[in-house]
Amino acid sequence: MMNRIKKAPLSEHPSVFLGKGYFGLTILTRGILFSLIWWALTNGDLSSWVMGGPAVVLALIVSMLLIPPTSLVWSAGVKFVLFFMIRSLMGGIDVAWRAFHPRLPIEPDLIEYPLQLPPGVAQVVMVNTVSLLPGTLSAELNDSVLKVHVLDGRSDVKSELMVVEKHVRRLFGLEGS
Amino acid sequence: MTLSDYLSVLFLLAGALFFLAGTVGLLRFPDVYTRLHALTKADNVGLGLIVIGLAMQAESFASVGKLLLIWLLVLLAGSSISHLIAKKALQKGVRMWRR
Repeated sequence: MMNRIKKAPLSEHPSVFLGKGYFGLTILTRGILFSLIWWALTNGDLSSWVMGGPAVVLALIVSMLLIPPTSLVWSAGVKFVLFFMIRSLMGGIDVAWRAFHPRLPIEPDLIEYPLQLPPGVAQVVMVNTVSLLPGTLSAELNDSVLKVHVLDGRSDVKSELMVVEKHVRRLFGLEGS
Repeated sequence: MTLSDYLSVLFLLAGALFFLAGTVGLLRFPDVYTRLHALTKADNVGLGLIVIGLAMQAESFASVGKLLLIWLLVLLAGSSISHLIAKKALQKGVRMWRR
């Protein structure tokens, strides 16, 4: 059997040159995040931490196994969230307008967009974001080529996708901002 | 009614309008791919607006957090599942509608 999963050389993985302190930082931020979620779910009930403590630890272990520490640039993260909020709102307005319009102004098309992003979490973020932006839907991802279903082929989808990809690259520190 | 009550009503109604748009799209759009567009995008915005409207009435920060959590999970589920449905449809050779 051929091993078909291509892995980037270890030396290229951001967490390697960030060292061991980085591993601890990931555990800390994720631990705080999961604790916040438990706090919200239980309305801050102190007695619930008998269950909550072990639940947070278990979630932390599972998350470290499933998603290895990834370096995120926080300032880029804020920009990404703002970009996403505005564009996804536009996406909703755009599709609502088309749905209500008597003549149904859609002209669907399927385009292929080769991703520059490395396989893994970054590509998953990209795929999930694209589906919520105006007029685009991630249909398939094969060998870093993303098939995108477009609601209106007359719009300039490629440049929109390039902007999204740039945001994701900056979020993962793959490109200076 | 206070100002925040009026704002709540405004956000909730706007949210409901987007849910309606999603459903109208589901009924009017011609194929599985275009219907996925309508559902994921319109419902995401609709739920976002309803969450904002409800958060204004929340009694504690914890319940605001809970509302945000619901919205995030629906975002994630909506975009992942629409991707999976579109992928399966393409693999099975479901033709896309063209004008």
